[in-house]
Amino acid sequence: MSTLSLLPLESRTRRRRWVPATILILLVAFALIGPWVFASPFAQDLSRYLEPPSLTEPLGRDEYGRSVVSRLAHATRLSLVLASLSVATALLLGTTLGTMAAWRGGWLDSVLRGISESFVAMPALLIVLLFAALAADGSLWALYAGLALAQWVEYFRVVRARAALILGSPAVEAAELLHLGRLHVVRRHLLPELRPLLLTLASLGMVTAILAMSTLGFIKVGLQPPRAELGLMITEAFPHYDAAPWLALAPVVVLFALTVSLLGLRRKEDSR
Amino acid sequence: MRIPARLAAPLLTAALLAATGCTATAEERSEALRIVGPFEVHSLDPATSQAFFTRLEVAETLVGADINGELVPGLATEWTHESHTTWTFELPHDAEFHDGTPVTGDAVAASLAKVADVEASPLSAIGIDAITGDEHSVRFELTEPFLTLPATLTHYSTMVLAPSSWDEDGHVTDVIGSGPYQVDHVEFPGSIEVSAYDGWRGEAPAIERLTFQSVSRPESRALMAASDQADIVFGLEPAGRQRVEAAPNVEMVSALQPRTLLLKVNGDHPVLGDPRVRLALSKALDRPGMATAVLREDDLAATQLIPPSLSAWHDEALEPLTQDLDGARDLLAEAGWEQQSDGSWQRDGETLRLSLVTYPDRAELPALATAIQAAFAELGIGLDVNVTNSSEIPAGHADGTLELGLLARHFALVSDPLVTVADTFAPEGSDWGAMNWHDDEVGAAITALLRGAEGAEGEEHRRTVVEAVHEELPLIPVAWYRMNAAVNSRVADFVMDPLEHTWRLSGASWQQ
Amino acid sequence: MTGIRRTGEVLLKRSGQALGVALAVSILCFVVVQRLPGDVSYRIAAGRYGYDLVDNAAAAAVAAELGLDRPAWQQFGSWLAALAQGDLGRSLVTSRPVGEELAFYLLGTLQLTGAALLVAILIGGSVGVLAARHPGSLVDHLATTWVASVRALPPFLLGLLLVLVFSVQLGWLPAVGHGNSTSLVLPAMTLGLGLSGLVARVTRETVINVWSSSYVQFAHTRGIRERLVLLRHVLRNSAVVLVPYLGAQAILLIEGVIVVESLFAWQGLGHALVHAVFWRDIPMLQATALALALLVVSLNTVVDLIVLRLDPRPRRAGALA
Repeated sequence: MSTLSLLPLESRTRRRRWVPATILILLVAFALIGPWVFASPFAQDLSRYLEPPSLTEPLGRDEYGRSVVSRLAHATRLSLVLASLSVATALLLGTTLGTMAAWRGGWLDSVLRGISESFVAMPALLIVLLFAALAADGSLWALYAGLALAQWVEYFRVVRARAALILGSPAVEAAELLHLGRLHVVRRHLLPELRPLLLTLASLGMVTAILAMSTLGFIKVGLQPPRAELGLMITEAFPHYDAAPWLALAPVVVLFALTVSLLGLRRKEDSR
Repeated sequence: MRIPARLAAPLLTAALLAATGCTATAEERSEALRIVGPFEVHSLDPATSQAFFTRLEVAETLVGADINGELVPGLATEWTHESHTTWTFELPHDAEFHDGTPVTGDAVAASLAKVADVEASPLSAIGIDAITGDEHSVRFELTEPFLTLPATLTHYSTMVLAPSSWDEDGHVTDVIGSGPYQVDHVEFPGSIEVSAYDGWRGEAPAIERLTFQSVSRPESRALMAASDQADIVFGLEPAGRQRVEAAPNVEMVSALQPRTLLLKVNGDHPVLGDPRVRLALSKALDRPGMATAVLREDDLAATQLIPPSLSAWHDEALEPLTQDLDGARDLLAEAGWEQQSDGSWQRDGETLRLSLVTYPDRAELPALATAIQAAFAELGIGLDVNVTNSSEIPAGHADGTLELGLLARHFALVSDPLVTVADTFAPEGSDWGAMNWHDDEVGAAITALLRGAEGAEGEEHRRTVVEAVHEELPLIPVAWYRMNAAVNSRVADFVMDPLEHTWRLSGASWQQ
Repeated sequence: MTGIRRTGEVLLKRSGQALGVALAVSILCFVVVQRLPGDVSYRIAAGRYGYDLVDNAAAAAVAAELGLDRPAWQQFGSWLAALAQGDLGRSLVTSRPVGEELAFYLLGTLQLTGAALLVAILIGGSVGVLAARHPGSLVDHLATTWVASVRALPPFLLGLLLVLVFSVQLGWLPAVGHGNSTSLVLPAMTLGLGLSGLVARVTRETVINVWSSSYVQFAHTRGIRERLVLLRHVLRNSAVVLVPYLGAQAILLIEGVIVVESLFAWQGLGHALVHAVFWRDIPMLQATALALALLVVSLNTVVDLIVLRLDPRPRRAGALA
C-alpha cells in the first residue's frame, strides 16, 4: 500500500479544492438520502427488465427490473461507510501503536516494528480478500476488519517515525523539564504536527478501501448478490454493455467520482 | 531514449510476442474444433473429472445412452442378467486403450472397482459383492437386485480407464481411455486438447482435433462465440444469446434439460406441513412471468415437476400449475389463516412468515428467490431470503431448520430418471429432494419400479408417483431449464444431447 | 568489500521480512479458512464431484478423508510441519501436489508481470520523455492528467475498457484465455498501463533534472559520440530513480495480478488464489497466498540489489519501501 509514493508531484492548489469537495459532498448526500428516497434496492419488477432511464427511474432498471438509482445509492453508502469506518479504525490503531512504540521504545518498539515490517510487504488486497472470503454470507464485519487490518501499518510507520523525532526534540525536552508530561507533548506537539499528514493518508486510505471493496465485488469474492455494491453492480451489468450501457456506466461513474474527489482533496504541501 | 509515441505501440506488441515465445506452431494446426464452456477441469480421476473425458469421447462407459436417453451399447456390446443379482457385460474383441493394450475384462473390472467405493458416484449406492473380469466380459455380483445397473453404468464416473492411468498411490496421472479421441494435453483448470486415436475400433471421426477451454465469465463466452474465437460455446446467458443471435455465422441450438428449479419444502413444518398452504404458495407464483424475466423464455415455466424431455415421467394430462391468487387466498383461509387489514395472514396470533435459503452458484437462483419473495408479498406472506452457501440446504435438511430451499435438481444423472426420482422421494428424505414427506403409495410404486415393473404396470406406477407429487407438492416446481450452445456455421452435423452423455463430436464434421 | 557487506545486509533484512510475512500469511489464511461460511467439506466435495452429485454423505466422506474433523490447531500444526519439510500437500479439489501446481501458476504470474513491466516502461518511458522535452506543453498536461486518472481507476475497470475496445469493437485480441501469445497482450496492457503513469512521471522529472545538469549541457554542444555518452548517462540516472520507485510498486503490481488474472482467466497465482477461496481448497489457498506475499518480498529484494549495483552510495537504502 505504498500510496504515499503515488502522490502526483503536481497537485491542486487550495483554491481548486472546492471542486472535489463539492463532488464528494454531493456523493455523500446521495448516499445518505438516496436509500430513504428511492425504492428498495432488491424490489424486482421483472416485466421491466433493462428499462432505459426515464423521469421516474433516472438511471433505468437492471436485468431483474430493480431500480438502478436505488441500488447505486445503497452501494455508495456501503462503500463510504465501510471505507470511513475501516480507515478510522486503522488510523486510531496505527496512531496509538505508533505513538506507544516511539514513546516506550525497547522491546515494545522492536516487536511492533517487526510486525509492521511483515505487514508492509503484504498486499492489502490479499489481506482484504482473505477476510472478504469470510463475508460470503453477507456479513460486513469481516470485510471491515480486513480493510482496517490491511491499512493500520501505514499510519503506524508514519506516526512512529515522526513521534520518535518529536519526542526527542528540544521543545519536548523543555516540556519535560517543566513536568508537563508526555501526554501533553503528544497532544500539543505531536498531534498538531501529524494532523495534515494523517488527513492525507486517510483520504488515500479511503480510496484504497473503496477500490479494494469494488475489486473484490467485481471478482465476486466476499459480498454476494443480490447485495448492492459498486463492483458487484459493474460485474452484473457488464454482460449488458451493448443492450443497456447505462447500467454499467452508472456505478463506474460513481466509483470514479468517489476516488477522484478523494484524491483531489489532498493538500499540496502534503504531497511530498 | 527518444522513442516517438507512434513507434511505441508496434514495438510493444513485438516485444510482447517475443516475451511469450510466439507459439506459431500451435496455431498452424488450427483445424481443431474449439469448444468453450463455463465448467473447469479439476481432475483426471473418473469420479471427480466432471464428465469432461466422456463428453470429449476419450473414455467410454460400459453402457451408453442415445439422444433420447435410451440405453445403447457403450464399451460393452451387450449385457445379460442370469438372476437379478448377477450381470454380465460383453466386451468387443477389437477394443484397445490409447496405450495400445487391449481392453480386457480384468482391466475394466479393476477400473470400476476403484469408483465403486467413491461415495459421490451413483455406483456406490449399489450393493456390489464383486466385480470380476475375464478375457472379454465383466461380471457384477450384487448383494440385492438392482435393475437399474445398466443405467447407472452410463454415468461418467463409471468410465473405464486403462490400468496404466493410475500411479502407484492410486492417483490418475493420465486419462488413457478407449474412445475415438485420446488426450494430448490437459492444463488445469483451463483446457483440454484431444486428437483422434488411430487404433479406434469404430469409424474414424471426421474432426481430428478438439480443444476445450473453460471460460467462467458469461459475457466473454458470448464474445468468443460471436467473434469466431470458438466453434461451440456452451452455457450462454440471456444477454449473450441475443448477441450471438445477431452475429453472422453462428447459430444457437438448444434442448430442454432434465433439470428443474424448485422449492424444497419442509413437510414437518407447522405451517408448510399443510398441503393446502403448499398449494397456496404454488398458486402465488407467476411462473411464466418469472421464466420470462429471469430465464428470458416463458415456455420454461414449469407446469409440473418433471420436464417434458423426460417423456416417461412427464404427464401431459396433469392440470398445469398456474397462478391463481384468489384460489391461494381460499386455500389459506381453509387452512385456518385469516387475512388481516394490512394484508398479512394470522392464525392463533401467529403471523405467516417464511424463510427461504438459496445459493448464488447458479446466477438465476438469487434472482428467482427475490421474484418469489415479491410473489409471496403480493399474497401477503412475508419471506426472508437467505442467499448463502449451497451446503446450508442439506445442513438445514439434516437439523430440520430448513423451511424453504430454492435449488436446481437434475432428474437424469444416470440415463434412467428412476434412479434420481427414487432418491428424490426416498422415504427418509433426500438432501436435494423431499424433506419430511412420504406417501405410502408413492413408496410402493417406486419400489415396484425398482424391482423391474415394466410396460403398462410400470406406466401405472409412474403415474401414481407423478400424480401424488403434483397434488401434495412436497417440492414446488418453479421453472425448467434449457441447455444451449452457440455453434459456428463451419461445424456440420452437431447434435445437442440434453443429457450431455457425450458432446457427440465424433459424429460432427466440418462444413464443406 | 563494502558492496558485498551491503548486499549481505539487504539479504539478511529481507529474509527476516520474508519469514515474518510467511508466518503472518499462514496464520491469517488458517484463521480465515476455519471461519469460512458454509461447510468446508461440502464445498470441497462440490468442487470435486460437481453440484449435482454432492450430498451429506459425500461431504462426510471428504471430511473424514482429509481429516477436517480434527481440531483446527492440529490441522495448522501438521500443515506447518509439512511446510517446514517443503511439502505443500495436495490440492483438496484436484488431488494433485500443490507444489507442482504452484510452479505452473508462478510461471504464469511471472510472465504476466514481466510483460506488464515492459509495457509500463515502454509506454511510461516514452510519454515521460515526451513530456520532459516540452514542459508545460499539451503533452505534459495530458501526461499529468493520465497519471492522476490511472490512480483513480481500479485495474478491473481499465481491463474492461481494453476488452471493450480491442476485443469487442476492434476484434483484434482475445478477451480471455491462456496459452497462446495473443492472450497475454490484454492482461499485460491492463497491468502495464496502470503502472505506466508513475513511470511517466518519474521519467519526466528525471529527464528534466538530468537535462539541465552541467554535464549534459556540456555534452550537448559536442558531436554524435557525446550523444551516445549522454544517452547512457540519462538512462543510468533515470534507472537509479526509477528502479526504487518500481520496487515500491511491487505491492500494487501483485494486487493488480490478483484482479487482472481473474478478469482475463490468465492462469497465474492470483487466479489460483481466487479459485482456492471459492472451492475452499485450503492447501492451495495457503500456498498461493504465501507465494504472492513472498513474491512481493522477492521483488523488493531484487530491487534493493539492483539499486546497490546502480548506485552503491548508502543514501539510497532509506528510499525503499
